[in-house]
Amino acid sequence: MDRNVCIIAGGMSKWGVRNGSQRDFFQEAAKACYEDNLQVNPKEIDGLLVASAYTERTSYQTHLAPLVAEHIGVKPKSICARVELLCASGSSAIILAFGLIKAGQADVVMVMGGEKLYTPQKWEVFYSELASVDHDWDGPQGLGLPPPVFAMVAKQHMKQYGTTKEQLGAISVKNRRNAALNPKAQFQQGITKDEYMNARPIVQPLSLFDCCPITDGAAGVILCAEEKAKQLTDKPLVYLRGTGQASVNNMSANMPSWTTWEALKIAGQEAYRKAKIEPKDVKVAMTHDCFTISEIIEMEDLGFCKKGEGGPFVGEGQNDLGGKVPTNTDGGLLGCGHPFGGTGIRQAIEVMKQLRGDATQQVKGADIGLTHNLSGFIAAHTVLVYGREPV
Amino acid sequence: MTTPGISVLDGKYMVTMDLFPQQSKEFNQVYAFYENLKQGRFTTTKCADCGAESFPPRVMCPECFSTNMQWIDWPNEGTVIEFTEEVVGVPLGFGKAPLVHALVDLQGKKTMFVRVINCAEGQLKVGDKVRVAVFDVDPVPQEVKGGIQEIPRVFYAFEPVT
Ligand SMILES: [Zn+2]
Repeated sequence: MDRNVCIIAGGMSKWGVRNGSQRDFFQEAAKACYEDNLQVNPKEIDGLLVASAYTERTSYQTHLAPLVAEHIGVKPKSICARVELLCASGSSAIILAFGLIKAGQADVVMVMGGEKLYTPQKWEVFYSELASVDHDWDGPQGLGLPPPVFAMVAKQHMKQYGTTKEQLGAISVKNRRNAALNPKAQFQQGITKDEYMNARPIVQPLSLFDCCPITDGAAGVILCAEEKAKQLTDKPLVYLRGTGQASVNNMSANMPSWTTWEALKIAGQEAYRKAKIEPKDVKVAMTHDCFTISEIIEMEDLGFCKKGEGGPFVGEGQNDLGGKVPTNTDGGLLGCGHPFGGTGIRQAIEVMKQLRGDATQQVKGADIGLTHNLSGFIAAHTVLVYGREPV
Repeated sequence: MTTPGISVLDGKYMVTMDLFPQQSKEFNQVYAFYENLKQGRFTTTKCADCGAESFPPRVMCPECFSTNMQWIDWPNEGTVIEFTEEVVGVPLGFGKAPLVHALVDLQGKKTMFVRVINCAEGQLKVGDKVRVAVFDVDPVPQEVKGGIQEIPRVFYAFEPVT
């Protein structure tokens, strides 16, 4: 059995500095997901995957999936488990749901992701991030929080390819502008070029608006087999076509290159091959803009522009609306925020809407969409390709 | 030591809140790295079968899967390829801003991204020499035969060679 798999519903809670607990946000997200497609009876969902990285740390809760199932009124029978790959937890869970449905091990799977990151004392979340990198080797160097890592990436990319601060700014201004049109996004106001250039430095060359914030929130999508999707939605079908996930190193000392992300190239090529497409076929993309420099390198290593030309590519608006590959049309991580497990789900929702044709900032003729996450110390990359047609 | 808000934990050690690794032989099979570090030696494991030198140190060779490991000394001086100075958001446990990091070429062995201590803001330059600097960290109160034994610990950063 090898079935086509569709994404038929998606919704998210409000993201930001939120009042409430992890389980509150999962209920809000499930409600939004159910409301996106009233033809799906949640009682028919046979599998649940829940993506969360910091549940054990900031909510002191393992065995999360049955807890979420109980709260969102789902009684899974094919799969009920949590998935973790930090920033790529949500996308990883979608890949696993895809495989289970494709193979006939599940029919209708809900994939949720989210985090409660703010704790009663803020220092704790920053301290807890020591678990995001190699705790024993990179953590004690003060590398738990990512800004120094991405500042080093940016400095080297600037030195090697002539990328400028203004080009980094193009990403920030674009994604914050897009977020202002997304009521679920953490930031509801855009920023000007001047505000970007004059922001307080964090780690040179990165300043405040180069960095995504800490975020509470959750999101959910529903995937199912094509035959089922035809019964469960009147909207255009959106197919998951191919995926790739790669890791070539974990600790910083083993990074093959800081400015060419080898694992991203591998994951991208794997996803393109399985989806039977080329980079030029991608009409809309949600790539992992945890920092402005990330989105620039992603344009290069996903093959949307030549290596080293990411700066001019984004500076000329080639990844903005009207350009070659509009990217992060819902605001991205820089605008929506980044509750780790939720991010890949949020990206899937926006790509689903773009391919269905009902996105807030609709890309005309979008028939192939892509999502991407990096995770940890740029230690793994995850790429998913969606389409209006099956492979 | 008190733990506000959680009175039952007053005076208790929590491994999940510790930013440094466990270094006793009971909790870490590469404890020799820290024993060597205490003597100012920066060491790692070399595979006795295929010769691969891995970092971090290993129990098993990731190239040929042998478990025949031997400890070797690595250079403890390297050259700054590029550096960063974090002025906002320095995490708890790493002192006052700026927190300086450098990408260091360890004489061709590895390119290490490490903290640079004993270094003022604006002091470090590309091409500077830096060397391993060992410092004490809080000992772990470990349960040993019904009692508590303090396990001394160290860790490393780099510092400018002056
Ligand atoms: Zn070997």
